[in-house]
Amino acid sequence: MLGVGIYTIVTELLVIAGIWKILMKCGEKGWYAIIPGLRYYKLGACNGKERDGLRCLFLEIIVRIMSFFDTEGDIRTPTELVISQLVLVGAILLFIFEIRVIFGVLRTFNMKKKWAFLWELVPWIVTPIIGFSSRFQPVNLGQFKEEGLKGGLTPANLSAPAAHGPSAEGLTVNIKERKVRDFTRKRYLLKDIHLFIPNGSLVLLLGGSGAGKTTLVSAINGYEKANAEILLNGVNVYENYGQMKYRIGFVPQQDLLRMNDTVRKTLSDSALLRLSVQTKEQERNEKIHSVMEILGLTEGADGLISKKSGGQKKRISIGTELISDPDLFILDEPDSGLDGVIARELFEKLRMVADEGKIVIAITHTPDRVIELFDKVIVLAKDSGKVGRLAFYGSPKQARTFFGKKTMEEIVMAVNSEEEGGEGRADEFIEKYAKMTTTKGAADHE
Amino acid sequence: MNKKVRYRGRFSQIGIYLGKFLRMFVYQSDWTVLPMAALISSLVAYVVGANINKTQEGTLTGCFAMVCVCVWNGFFNSIQSVCRERSIVKREHRSGMHISSYIAAHMIYQTLLCLAQTVILLFVCQQTGVFFPTAGLVTKYYLIDMGISMFLVTFAADMLSLVISSIVHNTTTAMTMMPFMLIFQLVFSGGMFSLDGFARKFSNVTITKWGLNSFCALGNYNNLPMVTLWNNIWKFRSMEIDGQKPIKMMTNYIIKNNQLDELLLESGRYNMNPAYTATAENVLHCWGVLAIMIFVFALLAMIILEFIDNDKR
Repeated sequence: MLGVGIYTIVTELLVIAGIWKILMKCGEKGWYAIIPGLRYYKLGACNGKERDGLRCLFLEIIVRIMSFFDTEGDIRTPTELVISQLVLVGAILLFIFEIRVIFGVLRTFNMKKKWAFLWELVPWIVTPIIGFSSRFQPVNLGQFKEEGLKGGLTPANLSAPAAHGPSAEGLTVNIKERKVRDFTRKRYLLKDIHLFIPNGSLVLLLGGSGAGKTTLVSAINGYEKANAEILLNGVNVYENYGQMKYRIGFVPQQDLLRMNDTVRKTLSDSALLRLSVQTKEQERNEKIHSVMEILGLTEGADGLISKKSGGQKKRISIGTELISDPDLFILDEPDSGLDGVIARELFEKLRMVADEGKIVIAITHTPDRVIELFDKVIVLAKDSGKVGRLAFYGSPKQARTFFGKKTMEEIVMAVNSEEEGGEGRADEFIEKYAKMTTTKGAADHE
Repeated sequence: MNKKVRYRGRFSQIGIYLGKFLRMFVYQSDWTVLPMAALISSLVAYVVGANINKTQEGTLTGCFAMVCVCVWNGFFNSIQSVCRERSIVKREHRSGMHISSYIAAHMIYQTLLCLAQTVILLFVCQQTGVFFPTAGLVTKYYLIDMGISMFLVTFAADMLSLVISSIVHNTTTAMTMMPFMLIFQLVFSGGMFSLDGFARKFSNVTITKWGLNSFCALGNYNNLPMVTLWNNIWKFRSMEIDGQKPIKMMTNYIIKNNQLDELLLESGRYNMNPAYTATAENVLHCWGVLAIMIFVFALLAMIILEFIDNDKR
C-alpha cells in the first residue's frame, strides 16, 4: 500500500515537472502544471487546442467530483450505477480530449503522433523528456501565441493614430481596443482605430479574412461594445443606444427575413417597428412606397419573399433597414452571391442613399468593379499579433498611392499574411499609417 | 439627445408579431398541425376509445392516450417556432423588438392553435363514439371541463416546447430534443408506470401527471368498475381441482345471480386512486398547476431569449 502511494506521488511529480517545462517552452507560466485540469487547458491554449483543453478542464472537475460518490464496483442502488456509468463516460471523454491536446503539443514540437501513445501510457517518462530535453523545442508556436498580448505591434512600439474630436456632422470612431476574454485569456480583436467619416460618404471597408471588419462594424453600431467612443452626428452611440439603434441600419451578410411573408408586409412591419409612434399612417405608407421605389421592389410587392431572386432578397433586407431613414447605414457583404450587373446596381442605389446625406459603410470582397462609387476606403489589417488595426483611411486614390498598388484587391493582398497567400506587409503599412496620422495630427495641432 | 423619440411599445408590438404569425399560419403552412391533430385523435380514439369512462382500466389507458395526443400536439406546435428564425429574432431584437412582445404574440397565436386542436380532439372523440358523461365537475358540462383540461395540457406542452425552441439554435437540435422530452413526460406521468421515491416526486413537474389526474377525475375513475380481476378469474375457468371446476362454478353462480356488476364495482372500490377523486377542487387544483406551468414556461422562454444578442456570429 505504501509502495503504491510513493509510486503515485513520484510519477505525479515527474508529470508536473515535465509539463511545467513544456509550458515554459511554450511561453506560459509553469505552475499551471500543478493543477491537473488546468495543465491540459494551458497546454491546449498554447498549442491551438484551446477548446479541447477547456473540455479536459471541465471533465476533470466533473469526473473528480463524481468519483467521490463512486463506489468502485460495489453497486447497490440505481443511483450508484448511474454515477459509476457517468464516471466511466467522463473518463473516456477525458482521455479523448487529452489525446487531442497532446496531438497539438506534438505538432508544435514537430514530433510524430506515435508519441501520444507513449505519453498516455507513461506520461511520467514522456513529459520530462519533452520538457527537459533541449532536443525538443517548439517550432510552430507563433500562430497559437496569445494574440495581441505577445508579439506583434504593441502600444510600446507603435504610436497610435490620433483620436478625432467630436463633430456634429458625421461619424467619429475612436476605438481604443476591443477585446474578448476566453476563459482565462484576454484576446484583442481590434486596437487603436480612429477615424472621422463625414455625412454623405459611401465608405468601403477592406481587409483580409479575420482582420476584424465585422468586429469593427459591430463596435460602431453598438452590437458588441468596445472600449471606444462612437459619435454619430455628435451623439454618443453607446450612451444613447436605446435611441441610437433606430438611427443605425445594419444589413447582415445573410438575408435574415421571414421567407414566407410578403415583401410589402415585411417592409410595413419593419416601418411599424422602427419609425416613431408620431409617424402618421399616410407618412409611413409613403415611406414604404419610396423605399420600394428606390430599391426597385414595387413590382411583385405582394408576392412571397421566398419566390424572389437573390438580388431582390438582398434589396428587401436593405429596405427593412432603410425604412427608418438611418443616419448611418452599414452593410456586411451586400453583394455576396450576386452577379456583377446586379451587384453594381445595388451599389449605385447605395450611392444614391449616401447622396441623401447618409453615411454608408459597405464591406465587400469584390470592390474594384464599383470602386469609383466610393468616397473613402478603410483598410483593416491583422498585425503580427493577430490584432485588427487600421492600415489606412482615405480616398481610393490616396489608398492606391499609399500602398503603391493599382487595385483594391492588390491592397488586400499586400496586407494579408503569407499563409493566406498575401504579401504579409500588414505591420509595415499599419506603422506607416500610424506615423503619417501622428505627424499630420501634430502639424494640425501646431 | 435633446428630444427623446418614442417608438412602439410592448403592447403595440404584440399586434405586429401576432399579424406576422397569422400570416405564417397561411403562407408557411403552419395550419398543417390541425389536420395532423385530427388524424392522431382519430387513431387514438379508434384504438382506445371504446372503454374510456366505462371501466377503470379503459379510462386510465384512454386518458393516458388522450394526454399523449395533447402533449404531442403542443410539442409540435412550437418546437421549431423560435429556433427556425433565431437569427431573424436576434436582428429584430437589436432593432427595437421587445422579447416580451414576441413571446406574448406567440402565446396568443398558440392559444388559438391549441383551442382549435382541442375542439378537433373533442369532436373526433365524439364522432368515434367515445363515451362522455354529461355532467361536469367544475362547470355543468363534461365537454367544457374536458375541453379546458385538454387545452391546458396542450398549451402547457406548447409552452414547454417554446422554451426548448428558445434554448436550441437550430431545428435539427430541436427535433432531436423532442422525443426525449416526450418520453420523459410519458414515463414520469405516474399513470402507466408505478413510480417510487424521488421519481414519484419528480412526476410533479410533468404536464402529463396533472393532465391525467384531471382527465381521470372528470371521467369519474374511482367510481367505475374494475374488470381486470374478473378477466383474470375468467382465464382460469377450465382449471380442475379433484375432478371439479370450482372457478367455473363460481363464475357461473355470479352471472346467474346478476352479481357481476356489483363485483366489478366492488373491485373498483379497492382500486381507487386519491389523485383521481371526482371533485371540482381536485380538477381545479390540476388546472391551477398546469396554469402555473404555462406561466413559468413562458417566463423562462422570455428570459432565455433576452440573451439572444449574445449568440455568436
